[in-house]
Amino acid sequence: MPCALVARCAVAIAMVVAGTGVHAQSVVRFPSARADSADALGMALDAEDKGNMKAAALAYREVLQRALIPGNADGDKVALSLLGLERVWAELGMRDSIVPVVQRVVQLRPTDPVARSMQLRALVGIGRDDEARLAFTAWRRAAGSDGAPFREYARLLLQQGRAQAADSVLAEAGRLLGAGGALSGEVAQLHVALGRWQAAAVAFRDALRDEPYLETAALFALTRAPAATRDSIRTVLLADPVQLAPRRLLSTLELAWGEPRRAWVALSTVKADDSTTAAWRAFGERAELAQSWLVARDAWSALFAQRRDLESQQRAAQAALNAGDAVGALQLVARAGPGSETVRARALLPIELSALGELGRAAEAQKRLDASGALLDETARTAMARPLVSAYLRAGDVPRAKAAVRGTDLEDDDETIGWLALYEGDLATARKRLVRAATQRGELVDALGILARARVDQSPGLGAAFLALARRDSAGAAARFIALADSVGPAAPALLSLAARLSSGTGAMVLWDRIVATWPKSPEAPEALLASARALLKSGDLAGATTRFETLLLDYPTSALTPQARRELERMKGRVPPGPLGAVAP
Amino acid sequence: MSAAGYIARMPSRTRIAASSRLLAVILLAVLALTTARTSKAQSMLLPMDDSQRNHLKAYGVTYLALKNGQKAEWMLNYRGGSFLLPDAPELRRRAALDGVSIELLTDAAVASMRAEVAGGNMDAVVLERAPKIAIYRPVDQPPWDDAVTLALTYAGIEFTSVWDDAVMQGELSKYDWVHLHHEDFTGQFNKLYLAYRDAPWFVAQRERDMAMAKRFGKSDVPGLKKGVADNIRGFVDRGGFLFAMCGATESLDLAIAAFAVDIAGPFSDGSPPASDADARMDWTRALAFSGAHVEPSPYINALSDIDGHQVNVPARRQPLGTFTLFDFSAKLDPVATMLVQNHRSVVPDYYGVTTSFNRAVIKPGVTMLASEDGAPWSKYLHGDYGKGSWTFLGGHDPEDPQHAIGSAPTDLSLHPNSPGYRLILNNVLFPAAKKKPRKT
Repeated sequence: MPCALVARCAVAIAMVVAGTGVHAQSVVRFPSARADSADALGMALDAEDKGNMKAAALAYREVLQRALIPGNADGDKVALSLLGLERVWAELGMRDSIVPVVQRVVQLRPTDPVARSMQLRALVGIGRDDEARLAFTAWRRAAGSDGAPFREYARLLLQQGRAQAADSVLAEAGRLLGAGGALSGEVAQLHVALGRWQAAAVAFRDALRDEPYLETAALFALTRAPAATRDSIRTVLLADPVQLAPRRLLSTLELAWGEPRRAWVALSTVKADDSTTAAWRAFGERAELAQSWLVARDAWSALFAQRRDLESQQRAAQAALNAGDAVGALQLVARAGPGSETVRARALLPIELSALGELGRAAEAQKRLDASGALLDETARTAMARPLVSAYLRAGDVPRAKAAVRGTDLEDDDETIGWLALYEGDLATARKRLVRAATQRGELVDALGILARARVDQSPGLGAAFLALARRDSAGAAARFIALADSVGPAAPALLSLAARLSSGTGAMVLWDRIVATWPKSPEAPEALLASARALLKSGDLAGATTRFETLLLDYPTSALTPQARRELERMKGRVPPGPLGAVAP
Repeated sequence: MSAAGYIARMPSRTRIAASSRLLAVILLAVLALTTARTSKAQSMLLPMDDSQRNHLKAYGVTYLALKNGQKAEWMLNYRGGSFLLPDAPELRRRAALDGVSIELLTDAAVASMRAEVAGGNMDAVVLERAPKIAIYRPVDQPPWDDAVTLALTYAGIEFTSVWDDAVMQGELSKYDWVHLHHEDFTGQFNKLYLAYRDAPWFVAQRERDMAMAKRFGKSDVPGLKKGVADNIRGFVDRGGFLFAMCGATESLDLAIAAFAVDIAGPFSDGSPPASDADARMDWTRALAFSGAHVEPSPYINALSDIDGHQVNVPARRQPLGTFTLFDFSAKLDPVATMLVQNHRSVVPDYYGVTTSFNRAVIKPGVTMLASEDGAPWSKYLHGDYGKGSWTFLGGHDPEDPQHAIGSAPTDLSLHPNSPGYRLILNNVLFPAAKKKPRKT
């Protein structure tokens, strides 16, 4: 508030100063009146700043009176004093007091937009609707072909939630001033307020032609459209002729609606030029942030096709790899592009090696690295070791993965060495090295939990199970973890818990039940109860979910999971408000 | 009784306390001898000091005991106003599910606790039966915009929703305890007409109330709500317990006192308020207030000068502070003591349509339970009316100090130790207390 007041004072002083220059002749004729008026304005602002609203109101009245002297009228001061009176009377709970004052100003200055809009605002605000309508009609007559009265009145009515009344006003504007034009933004907002989404889309599309700054407003308004109405919006914004602004709006809307593929389709069919490629680039970056890798791949690929730059090629290939499209990543890397061989190798070879690894083509990856060896310095070669090791592990070839580590910085990397030891069943080394790993990835935490409780130093079976996991063979890994459960002592519930997470519905439920029944004192037992309760809740089995939540709360009162279980149980029973994602009704 | 009156009676209270203490010590010695051999748990204590993990749900466990026909005791001023319940499996289960801290006590430990209670400003009040609770609210309204409904729903305490038709048909007599929240009993829709007159929820509320008024032969909503207010007054007069919060406190008394005068703005009944409304108010009928000035302007969002904070009138709005709960003698003033049981004595204030009560308009004889130091208002009032009693608590939501229309609902699982919500729940259990002859 103080900042606002300071700003108001500054504006007022600036206007007073400016006014002194503009009305120099008046100053000569009415020197004392001018000086007094400036003093009164200062006093008014000062009183308002100090919260002395009654004194401020008196001072503003004085300023207004002087600013309206015939032959010496000062529009700036009229506006300042009227706005000041509106503020202070609102603070005093005397909002209706402005009405007679502003009516007098309107009589003297029938085209003054500040006075006219204030008159409307005051009358609508205090519920004198008939008088507001008359004031609007009078302003409309005085304003000629100006759209301001329609815009102002419609805006006020929309703010009041009186969409039907605003509709009549805008329809009248359309009749008198022609469709669209200066009021198309208001028309669009009106349609939104009335839930006429298709008409809103049409109006926004029209408005964007002349007023591109409305794109943000359109996005904000149309994002709220219910799912059932979105197809009609799509039809409007996709219609010919193809223009960038409506397509960009639709693309952003589709992203907000969780439809990244449609978002890209909307934008990809716009004729490519500088503005379009800028939009593609912005889209690619947004898609990356949202981890919508497939459409990010397509956006960067389209950009690469236009610009032929290395950055687009690299980001397209990386997005393809992140999306699980290793073949696509290899194709993108293979395309000709700018830059020297060395620069290209450094930018693209890690992606190529990873893609080959994903496809189980570790030998090929090795060959590519060997072939490019001359292009890479020592640092770059070391940087390639990690994707090569991953490629061998993806292929299940631990000896070659170890060979790839040799002579590189990875020999000192605890995590790499720890995982390789684990895959070979050397639990003692794995235990020692993984605990010093720099990262805290979920699979690492799982492995450490199992290693800490497995009472043996060698277990090729456990190594094979984790290697199956590294090869993305989740079913095989789960089967191996389950088979090992009876032979690893205290680690059994941890293995079964991991297997349950890798398994689907029924299989997981069997494992959770086994954990609770066989190892009720293990930390995995409350975890299994919570996971199974959530699964049952998701499937609609409220009674089953309740039983499991309650068992957790009653049998494991000191578990760290009880607050979560209690909260979810209370949500389920409707004892606390539904969360942002909604809750299952009891 | 005012705080000053309470202090004036200190000497006689001290004498009574001393003799009670002696008697209790003798009884305890006998009890301890007879129960020394049995060391297994016989009772369950729900401590209500800082060791309690979920204060609000503790009230729900106590309510369950009463509902099951078990006896409970409220240990006033003992560890924040703890509850002593029998050690029953279903209560243990409920406490565990709700995360309520319990302590299992042998008879000897209970005897020792009673000795401590007898020796200080503490007392044990027997809670006899689960009170029948009604909340005045539209029956189809979700429970998230009313602090009492929120608290009862969260604590698992059963209640029935009653609305204008039930009140007008005399159904309040079925209940022990009635709660009112931010309803405007003057029928002026909390003067929200200007700002919200076209909002769908406001239009729906207005139409609903108009239809109800017509159903009961009233020409407008103020007429209907005055009738409702008078029925509520009658409920208290005949021995009911009333707890009101937020705008219901002020508007109920205004509606009762304005029984024969028009105080409603033209937007609600088509005619301006009577110009001599202040002079024609009959405050003898009112519960808590007297001599207040009725706000006649439809543009000032306040009903009267009863509220000290005037949150909806920018030029009059007062900032929020903290309020302090007064201490009362547990043995001599058990009712007032019950109403202020808490693990905190200073509580952050919170706004409501009516936030606080100007002392200048509070009737003599009303007990002030909490006030803000140095401020001319009180936060929490209690008094008797006819055969019943009432409690007024200002503000809307103790955990949402700036609550506004459309604000997200409060999730009490995030505030299980809320001292403000405890005040509401104290009122829920207070009607369960066994009646004792009043000593003051």
